[in-house]
Amino acid sequence: MATQQSPIQYGKAIQYQLQQIVTPVPVYAAFNRNFATQPKFITWMLRNVHQPVYTGQIQSVKGIDRPIFQINIFTQQIEDGFTISNQILQLLHGYSGLFGGATNGFYISKADVMWLYNSYDNEDKLAQVYLDCTLDIPT
Amino acid sequence: MALPNKVLPGFSAALYCQPTSTPTPLTVAQLSLVASVSPIAVSGNLLPVEAIPAFGQDDAMANFSVAGSRQSDKIPTQSAPTSMTITAAWNPSDANLLLMRGDAYNGTVDRTFVISATDGTNIVYYAFNGRVSQFQIDAQPGAEAKCVFTVHPRGNQYGWSNNA
Repeated sequence: MATQQSPIQYGKAIQYQLQQIVTPVPVYAAFNRNFATQPKFITWMLRNVHQPVYTGQIQSVKGIDRPIFQINIFTQQIEDGFTISNQILQLLHGYSGLFGGATNGFYISKADVMWLYNSYDNEDKLAQVYLDCTLDIPT
Repeated sequence: MALPNKVLPGFSAALYCQPTSTPTPLTVAQLSLVASVSPIAVSGNLLPVEAIPAFGQDDAMANFSVAGSRQSDKIPTQSAPTSMTITAAWNPSDANLLLMRGDAYNGTVDRTFVISATDGTNIVYYAFNGRVSQFQIDAQPGAEAKCVFTVHPRGNQYGWSNNA
């Protein structure tokens, strides 16, 4: 029997945890309106919230959730983006424990960060680094 | 109501076990009696299994050859009910998984298990008596920890019924 986890809780926890890791760099969910004036910032997007369902008529017969959130690091200097990505790797990859702070946090068995790729947007003059983080959450 | 009269998805099946650590298994006659079987198939007795493995009867036969006869003959022999290796998501506090753990430790507890399959209204039940063996926890990272156990049904102790 497994409780259905709430994506609202995930969002609050991700926002808090990322903010703690990269402070004072601002963290936004999905989009930042001030990107033209901010030299460094981070956005995140949550996806793949899914607990496998198992046989029978009882709704709570499910497995654990392993959601993924993508972290997008935007910087005007390419090196800054790499530095911030390293900060995230050092503090988040392999992390096990309370995720998201005392108020909205929950226990995770493991955070698994995959550094995907970096890029550069010439029009906006923004360097970008993309990372994926998978959470293993006991339910 | 009667037997389900539809092709059923695999998700329609559920596995239940008799409660308590010292159960009294159903008699052979009761295993085919819906009045005896359906009280076991309630949510409190549900085993949280991932999928219901193949159930029914194994194949076993003897091949007889008679000199002078053109064809030999295959005679079914000792075809035992199928052993079921079951995988469940492991919650260490799940009361019914703890019963399975206790049965495997004991080795001689006979318990009635019921598999139900439903089309939403009608239900078919397969009930059998069995003993639990091979209780293992598989905690590979990347998914939930799995609880794996095998139920070995006793010979001649199973029955089919429905909620007609």
